[in-house]
Amino acid sequence: MKRDWKALLLRHETILLLVLIAEWVFFYYAGTSTNRRGVVVGFGTLDRQFDILRHSCEIGLLALALTPVIITAGIDLSVASLLGLCAILFGKFWHDAGLPIPVAIALTLVLGGLAGALNGTLITKLRLPPLIVTLGTYSLFRGLAEAITRGAVTYTDFPAGFLFLGQERWLGLPTQAWIFFAAAIAIWLLVHRTTFGRSFRAIGYSPEGARYAGLPVERRVALVYVLAGVIAAVAAIIYTARLGQAKADAGLGYELFAITAVVLGGTSIFGGAGSVHGTLLGVAAIAVLKNGLATLPVVMRMNAAEEMAGLLTGALLLVALTSSVIPKLLARWHTRPHVTVSPTLKPKSTA
Amino acid sequence: MKSFLRLWLVAGLLLGSMAGAQAASSKLIVAFLPKSKGNAYFISCKAGAEKAAKELGVELLFDGPTDSNAAKQNEIVENWITLGVDVIAVAAENREGISTALRKAQKQGIKVITYDADAMPDARSFFVNQATPEGIGYTLMDEAARLLNNEGEFAMITASLTAANQREWQKHIEARLKEKYPKMKLVAVRPCDDLKDKAQSEATAMMSANPNLKLIMSICSPGVPGAAEAVKQAGKTGKVKVIGLGLPSENRRYVHEGVTDTVVLWKTEDLGYLTIYAGVALAKDELKKGAKSFKAGSLGTFEIQGDNILLGKPFSFNKANIDQFNF
Repeated sequence: MKRDWKALLLRHETILLLVLIAEWVFFYYAGTSTNRRGVVVGFGTLDRQFDILRHSCEIGLLALALTPVIITAGIDLSVASLLGLCAILFGKFWHDAGLPIPVAIALTLVLGGLAGALNGTLITKLRLPPLIVTLGTYSLFRGLAEAITRGAVTYTDFPAGFLFLGQERWLGLPTQAWIFFAAAIAIWLLVHRTTFGRSFRAIGYSPEGARYAGLPVERRVALVYVLAGVIAAVAAIIYTARLGQAKADAGLGYELFAITAVVLGGTSIFGGAGSVHGTLLGVAAIAVLKNGLATLPVVMRMNAAEEMAGLLTGALLLVALTSSVIPKLLARWHTRPHVTVSPTLKPKSTA
Repeated sequence: MKSFLRLWLVAGLLLGSMAGAQAASSKLIVAFLPKSKGNAYFISCKAGAEKAAKELGVELLFDGPTDSNAAKQNEIVENWITLGVDVIAVAAENREGISTALRKAQKQGIKVITYDADAMPDARSFFVNQATPEGIGYTLMDEAARLLNNEGEFAMITASLTAANQREWQKHIEARLKEKYPKMKLVAVRPCDDLKDKAQSEATAMMSANPNLKLIMSICSPGVPGAAEAVKQAGKTGKVKVIGLGLPSENRRYVHEGVTDTVVLWKTEDLGYLTIYAGVALAKDELKKGAKSFKAGSLGTFEIQGDNILLGKPFSFNKANIDQFNF
């Protein structure tokens, strides 16, 4: 019984949750103040908490999309480029083709899925490495978005009803948070509660083994990329609604934030292991860090909140990845304090 | 495990004490947002803003995207709202995109002012307008006439034949020409797509098609060095003069070589200076809607048209003064 408790405490997700709470408490105390006009401002305000949630939705969705992909030992570098392309397509459907918003959204989601299917087909039918395929579509999708707009057209003037999705609140929370939560629950159920989703881990751990076990590996891998495409399209719609504009640079660089969140959340980049709740914790840890930093007057005065956030996110990732190793290192240290041999680590034998 | 926890605790305490150094500032905080913070144009705006902030005794925050990114501009404005600054001054990358965030700032009692590139009128109190189309058009035409002694043929390079601002400037140039300089003739108008290379080939073509051409005027910034290079390579330095709208830094070489006579732009430092003065006056309730003029420290009084504070006539950079400006 005691052993179980200790194992739970040392689990990656638990450590990450503690880090998240520590971050939150720290910023709550250091990042909240009263300004000249006597108004309470900073991290501790409800508005800021909603801002954090709002800013997390797009990267959070991409991270959700990437979790099954990475669990199957794949990678999708093209998700953020696809976000940009979908934003432009949606803008074009609505503005240039004059389609009603719901139809434009539906079409965008379908095209997002098709773009994901392109990734999936190239990976499974041609047996190309996912890294190479999605590196290609990473440039291809962004390039298409830029070509369609010639890098100059920006779609704006969206109706208020659509902007509600990204800028207002519904039932007390930012509207898009509901979509994000719904997607999170759906993907959690898929990955953790269905045999279909559990097979992702088997595929990621050993595709050959999964194949011998009778799993349709190719079809499932392809489906994971289609799902990623659809979710990237959802993120594109939310992004467009939040900013009130669709431009070819939408979501530039988001794929790296999303991958960081997934890895920070404990999903193995080699596949076979990982969890959706870990990813959510990873997204939250990065978002709180990034938005919290910006509320520290000290950081603000350096005029480099963005740069600081990048630096600390990197540090957080390295600390989180090494922290699962540190206890083992320390344990070695304590049990064999007089041994002079350098403590090289044994490779992990189980996933 | 214990020492591991201790390590975390010490690190946390250290960080906490560092951040605790924040003192509730009694100074007014003015936040200044450029389109991109590494751009020499905005760095020189910042120099003027810093001067004004020092004179007024306010704290200046200067942050912006490293590239011209509308989404990042929004995030920075939202950060400033959270921090509870008093004034936000913005050069908008995207008119609509930024306006949502600016309206939110206004709702929280933050004064919003735009400069260089405006947001939606309801999302800010005033726009510090660096140059009216009329000011630009008239200054360029008058300078061309001065150089040619009011007579001769000249040609024009624009960015594109459809861009709204370019057409507006061209309209005022042609109006001034018709009104004041009957002996001058505009023989060609060619687009360069905002590319220096294209401007160069267009200028070369213009010179061979119009042997009596005396001057090339470019109303897009890459066109000025482009035309200068063409004139220089054709060996017509001095015979065909070059003027235009552009940055001093891009044209310094040609101005010193005598190829380009005049570069017209506004003083970016003054733009930053005036913006900060106006923003602070807004926060102190000294500048109100409907004001007709505004006094900004050592720069004197500026005219206000509607909700636009006018920086005034553009500034001409030439051999005598161009080395004083580093943007």
